[in-house]
Amino acid sequence: MSAFQLLNGLTYAALLFVVASGFTLIFGLLRIVNLAHGALYLVGGYIGFSIASGTGSFVLGGLGAMAAVAAIGFVLDQGLLRFVGNNELRQVLLTLGFAFVLDDMALVIWGGDSFTVPIPHMLKGGMHVFGVYYPTYRLFVLATGIVVFAGLWLLLNHTRLGALIRAGVDDAEMVEASGVNIRRVFLVTFLLGSALAGLGGLMGGAFLSLYPSADAEILVFSLAIVIIGGRGSLVGVGVGSLLVGLLNTLGQVMFPELAYFVIFGPMALLLAFRPLGLFGRATPA
Amino acid sequence: MLEVRDLHSGYGEAQVLRGVSLEVAPGEIVAVLGRNGMGKTTLIRSIMGLTPPQIRSGSISWRGEGLVGLRPHDIATRKIAIVPQGRRLFPSLTVSEHLTMLKGLRAKSGWTLERVFGLFPRLAERRHHRGGQLSGGERGMLAVGRALMIDPELMLMDEPSEGLAPVMVQHLEGIVLDLKREGLSILLVEQNLYSALAVADRVYVLETGQVVHQANAAELAKQTDVLFARLGVQ
Repeated sequence: MSAFQLLNGLTYAALLFVVASGFTLIFGLLRIVNLAHGALYLVGGYIGFSIASGTGSFVLGGLGAMAAVAAIGFVLDQGLLRFVGNNELRQVLLTLGFAFVLDDMALVIWGGDSFTVPIPHMLKGGMHVFGVYYPTYRLFVLATGIVVFAGLWLLLNHTRLGALIRAGVDDAEMVEASGVNIRRVFLVTFLLGSALAGLGGLMGGAFLSLYPSADAEILVFSLAIVIIGGRGSLVGVGVGSLLVGLLNTLGQVMFPELAYFVIFGPMALLLAFRPLGLFGRATPA
Repeated sequence: MLEVRDLHSGYGEAQVLRGVSLEVAPGEIVAVLGRNGMGKTTLIRSIMGLTPPQIRSGSISWRGEGLVGLRPHDIATRKIAIVPQGRRLFPSLTVSEHLTMLKGLRAKSGWTLERVFGLFPRLAERRHHRGGQLSGGERGMLAVGRALMIDPELMLMDEPSEGLAPVMVQHLEGIVLDLKREGLSILLVEQNLYSALAVADRVYVLETGQVVHQANAAELAKQTDVLFARLGVQ
């Protein structure tokens, strides 16, 4: 693999990480099987695209995408998911249906054309890294992925909210009995996970472009990443993203016909021998 | 003070508490004794607002205010803390995090990390260990410490002596008496008669969901044979 392809793999992994880290908050920690996560990514991309092209500000596009997708996540969580409880089959059906509705609404609003989010001037062009000339924007995506990882790691391990989230995942009832409204903590976690999907949509929309059904691939990859890494493990998502990002790029270059098999073959093998994923732990109780 | 009146509570079709009434006065330690399956944990969970069980009828009032129907976090905010059966520590949190996760959540608390570590020096040594890596005695201490951090006026303790070596049980009894001196009211449910008698001002005996006997401190000593008969071999 050349340095160029390696960077392609790494930057794609960084994008996947941003989306999948949101997914692991919801699917891994809160144990909600949210199959609308891909749709949240896509809608976030469209909204970010509209705001960024309308205002000419990429930053506003990012903030807008995160806020709007968090708002959609609020409706999904408080308006629908709260009524199905912990029943995973119902969660799957509900969120899948929600994803179809979102996709169709996006089709009505933005049509079937593909869009590319305009990137700011300073991120256009390329720069020399590791002896190759490489697009600046994709390096920016890589940096953003690293910043999101560091931010989430600090949040979960070194803040009071992070301690409450971890405690709530261990034993929600005991956190309640200690005087904390755990539903509010979980809601904040859900909104944060949704916002990360929105951010991923904007960032991915600038180099993968946005089109109907772009959500499916992201959702499948996010699922693969969280399952490979282990549900709820941030380090697992990091390693899973690197594996999937690099394998996907490698697969497309070396075995284009088998690109998916290169990812899902090893995933199936891994799960046969480590059903909880690389960094997964058995759920307490 | 806590007043439970004619409480009926149960799980689905199964009625567990059938008209329990009891009181805990300020600064008092009250023990509810009973064998397994007599409704002790159901009583504690009902007071704390934890579901299941569902409360069918009856009232629970605390400082004149009804608690039935409130969510557990609202009840905890009213300065009622719980040391649950099995301790239920958080495996993902360190000892320190168990104690600081509530910090800043409410106005100034009389209990601080330093004060809890003063009461349980052993926990200070283990502050970076996680909930799952502690010995039985340390787990008990941490569960009490976590409950203290909400700055309670009433502490509900579900079988605090469960699974502890006799020397640890004694240590815990000392702590319970210390807390009483701090002005806390304590309602503890126990199978262990000796442990309960060592600390309690008053005792209720629970049998198949009803209070079948009660006695105060002065009567306790003379009645151990009655209590033994009620509780079976101890």
